[in-house]
Amino acid sequence: MSNFTSISRRDFIKLGSAAGAVGAFGFGGRRLVAMEQKLGGQDFSATSGGERQSVPYTCLACNIEDGGVAYVENGRVVKLEGNMDHPNTRGKLCAKGNSGFLHIYDPDRIMTPLLRTGKRGEGKWKRISYDEATSLLAKKLREVIDRANAEDKPEILNEIVLKWGRNRTGGACERFMHALGSNSTIHHTDICEASKKVGLEPSWGPDIESCDWANTKYILNFGSNVLETAYFMNPNSQRLVDGVVGNKAKLVSFDVRMSNTSSFADEWFAPFPGTDGAIALAMAHVIMHEDLYDKDFVRDWTNVTAEQLKEHLKTYTPEFAEEESGVPAKDIRRIAREFATTKPATTFSYRGPVKHVYGTYQEAAIHMLNVITGNVEKKGGYCLPRGMGWPQPEPEPPKGKAPSLLASPPEYPLASHHVSTLAPYRLKKGEARVSVWMSFYDNPVYTYPSSHVWKEVLQDENLIPFFVSFSPFMSETTENADLIIPDVTYLERHDPESMPSGLYPCMSIRQPVVKPLGGTQEFRQTLIDVIHKVDPDGTLGIKKYFAFDSVEDWMRAHFDEIPGLKEQGGYDFLKKKGVWPIYGKVDPDTAKIVDRNGNEVEPDYALHEKQLSQSQMEGAEIDEQGTIRKDGKAIGVQINGKNYVGFGTPSKKIELYKENFKKYGFNPLPVYKRLPSRDKKDNEMVLSTYKVNVHTQSRTASIKYLAELYHKNPAWINSKSAAARGIKDGELIRVTSKLGYIVTQAHVTEGIRPDVIAISTACGHSSYGRLSQLKVKEQAPVWSQGGGDVDIANNVWWDDKGVHPNPIIQLAVDPIGGSQGWFDTVVTVSKAEPGDSYGDVKASVEASVKDYEETLRYAYTGDLHRKNHKEVDIEWDHLPPASLHGHG
Amino acid sequence: MALGLQAPPSLGVPGKKRWAMVIDLRRCIGCMACVCADKAEYDVPLGVWRTIVKVKNTGKFPNTKRHFMPRLCNHCDNPPCVRNCPTQATYKHEDGFVLQRYERCIACRTCIAACPYNARHVLPKNRDRVKIGGVVDKCTFCNHRVEKGLLPACVQTCLGRSRIFGDLNDPKSEVSRLVATHSTVVLKPGKGTQPQVYYIKPDRSLTEQAYSEPVSHAAKEDAKAFYRHNRGSKFFSGVL
Repeated sequence: MSNFTSISRRDFIKLGSAAGAVGAFGFGGRRLVAMEQKLGGQDFSATSGGERQSVPYTCLACNIEDGGVAYVENGRVVKLEGNMDHPNTRGKLCAKGNSGFLHIYDPDRIMTPLLRTGKRGEGKWKRISYDEATSLLAKKLREVIDRANAEDKPEILNEIVLKWGRNRTGGACERFMHALGSNSTIHHTDICEASKKVGLEPSWGPDIESCDWANTKYILNFGSNVLETAYFMNPNSQRLVDGVVGNKAKLVSFDVRMSNTSSFADEWFAPFPGTDGAIALAMAHVIMHEDLYDKDFVRDWTNVTAEQLKEHLKTYTPEFAEEESGVPAKDIRRIAREFATTKPATTFSYRGPVKHVYGTYQEAAIHMLNVITGNVEKKGGYCLPRGMGWPQPEPEPPKGKAPSLLASPPEYPLASHHVSTLAPYRLKKGEARVSVWMSFYDNPVYTYPSSHVWKEVLQDENLIPFFVSFSPFMSETTENADLIIPDVTYLERHDPESMPSGLYPCMSIRQPVVKPLGGTQEFRQTLIDVIHKVDPDGTLGIKKYFAFDSVEDWMRAHFDEIPGLKEQGGYDFLKKKGVWPIYGKVDPDTAKIVDRNGNEVEPDYALHEKQLSQSQMEGAEIDEQGTIRKDGKAIGVQINGKNYVGFGTPSKKIELYKENFKKYGFNPLPVYKRLPSRDKKDNEMVLSTYKVNVHTQSRTASIKYLAELYHKNPAWINSKSAAARGIKDGELIRVTSKLGYIVTQAHVTEGIRPDVIAISTACGHSSYGRLSQLKVKEQAPVWSQGGGDVDIANNVWWDDKGVHPNPIIQLAVDPIGGSQGWFDTVVTVSKAEPGDSYGDVKASVEASVKDYEETLRYAYTGDLHRKNHKEVDIEWDHLPPASLHGHG
Repeated sequence: MALGLQAPPSLGVPGKKRWAMVIDLRRCIGCMACVCADKAEYDVPLGVWRTIVKVKNTGKFPNTKRHFMPRLCNHCDNPPCVRNCPTQATYKHEDGFVLQRYERCIACRTCIAACPYNARHVLPKNRDRVKIGGVVDKCTFCNHRVEKGLLPACVQTCLGRSRIFGDLNDPKSEVSRLVATHSTVVLKPGKGTQPQVYYIKPDRSLTEQAYSEPVSHAAKEDAKAFYRHNRGSKFFSGVL
């Protein structure tokens, strides 16, 4: 979030002046072509015909934050629809988004704060009021603060931990933690995309690429399932289909499994897991050595020379990449030539290449393909993310005084999105202490590698003396809490939002589309209440950071003073429209954003080539590299006599050569590192996991429409590999890793590499409500909404809830970007043994602790680091010492 | 609204509307947004569907493909369900919608048997919000939305813009343009039903049945579970 706002601020200023004019159009006229019926924006009851009340919101079914409109009938949300004013969502929602209102009415939703009465995880609870609950939490927090003050040790405040899995609060979590003086905010990004960001951000600035899918002619997809999941699935899917079908672009996809994206592609290749980087480097080799690269762009806009790149890429031949990946050299060569000579073109990648040890290098290699072909910031090319920022209410609390080991492990100085996976091991080994553990939108006992370790640690009252969860659902994690202060669902709460989900930067809000059900209270109000109870008279000096009369007051402080928006009504405009600015209308024929004359409102391209004004240049100095500095800050770059704003890097150029990587002994240029999994034995397989288009990682198994479509996750195994093991379709199998085994079913298919087995993460809950566990005939817990849905109680027809793979997935950390190596676990697959039952899970905590020790050997402080980076020419005995640096 | 029971075919009849859908299979990504939007639109209970997307895998590794086939009522211009309904519960609107009047339906299932497309089902009695059950239901082309100037819910949310809806009697409409300029097929044309859902670029093997036999073990097990629970209904075989 903090990284993200730095670029958005620039876009935001740019838009501040333009947006007023854009939003001022009155879109009255309609073209008399195409689908003559209206696309949306209005809704009528199918039974009564009455018009429904509409309230705009921003989706949070997954993390894409699509613009939506909720339709309310008799005080109840009856359906959701995409917000027609949202320029990137364009009026559409995915399956999860359309089903999102069911979260509100989930019969197993927690409707009241709960205090544990039995043992941790035993399921015995006492219902208490929000007032009692926030008082109890405040008391526990105050104890830590008093102890820190008495001993004058600010590091004690870091014993207050907030672990989030999905933080879309627009800074509320950070404000809360910093007000308490703690830096121990533990993220989740490293189990998601961290190494992708770390592969990109040092090179060109914050966040991930926004491809101009609709206008491109050639797409290389590396390990992303963009048509089903990934960052911005809905907007990206819409525009990808427009590009491939409407614009006749070619799509080439690399993935170990035939996802819907790879099936949609013109060509699908299934490389060995973790070798995408070798393929990308080989393509770069072809493009450079055959002189197919964009000479001007490489010369003007990068910090390397063509000769330097040619030399670096010399050994990465297509034949080398074939040896590593299994993708034929002739195809790599052909596709490299096609990619370099078809304009415009773009790559897209997501978790496939980066969720490996050294995944950061793989992302950097893929990114480089766009740079050397000059496709960056071109119409139809590989564009920078476009988000917008909003100001935080003043006064803002400063960060805590002491850096936090849990939030920012010192062995990973380049992992700017942190390494959360290590936390339970740090606690077990006594390397860090916790007094209060708070869990927000987080379910590591289900979603983390070696998830059994999290369960053990969260149940251990010595390691975690007080554990509070803000979840409105009884997840695998929340069931272990001492206190639950349930938040509301995303349709009942306030949040500011901005996501670079397309080429039109915009901001949006979440607001209660109905009053929170049954007296439940939103998280933001809970934070206000807790802070006011921690510091009732303001003597601690932290109450002032939460001096909001109401949650809406807090939201107004974000939005009411934004230039451009302010003139249109500030927060009131967002309450009414949900999103700002409004660029135009969705053309019913082409789905492009058009003005009232039907002409496309084209997004801005070439953001890096915006020129600095004379007043901006006043007093600026230009160094020999061309970087323009003012008041000690780089503000642009001079190229061929022109003063450009450039990219979000120190030199304002694209930094393919990363000096900072070299400092810690990593290769400053993208390289390929052969992983231990590549040297697996012939009879072994690599375990891969994936998301499906109708589920999130953990939160949707109790959503009936989605569960009906997808409720079990048999393991995908190629027919040849199954036959070699005597396994028939549907038979019980044991999948065994170093940690233990799971017993699941085989799904024999042609759509997967023979040496990979793939299991979806959507299913296999041991908690999260009755529907996820197929216990719909059981009585509703007393604390739940209950009563609920007779449809669920009577009409659930499926009888299989799946088996979750995470307990046998090994912890493995990318030493650069901090990512979990989700696809590095080597397994054996065999027929189930006598006595095995479907769903059996056995996983060793001791073996996982060994993985923790092993993965630290890859960190820059570890003994394997130098061995794996012989080519890096630095003084190995003088690497910077590992020091606590981070702030959560 | 004129009832137009047994309304004569309106395709090509001047002054009449003929609502139709084009499904461009090049653009379908199998995202299931239509399925969920439709469930929400009508509070469709578990175990029945007004629209589904069939999934089929073909080929041998590495030459494989996944095919998607959205299915819904074809709103036939010559609907056999209407002809066969003994109580006139099912009727054809003069603009082409084939609709159901719940209060006249005796759930005799004659229409279900008469429909060559498996587009009809009996509503379970236990529903969440809308308390109509035990009668036959079907896709309505969202006539309650269309008559208010809106598109059907499945078209509205279709991520790939695979579903296109409009008046085939209007030569300027998008559906007219697509049908005129692309090779399209309708399902089971030999039945003489004059179906009004037109598919662009279908895989021929996918067009035969809405409820084909499940192929994988996972689908077969789901089918077994489904029929244990819903004897009178049809299962589309799931997505695995």
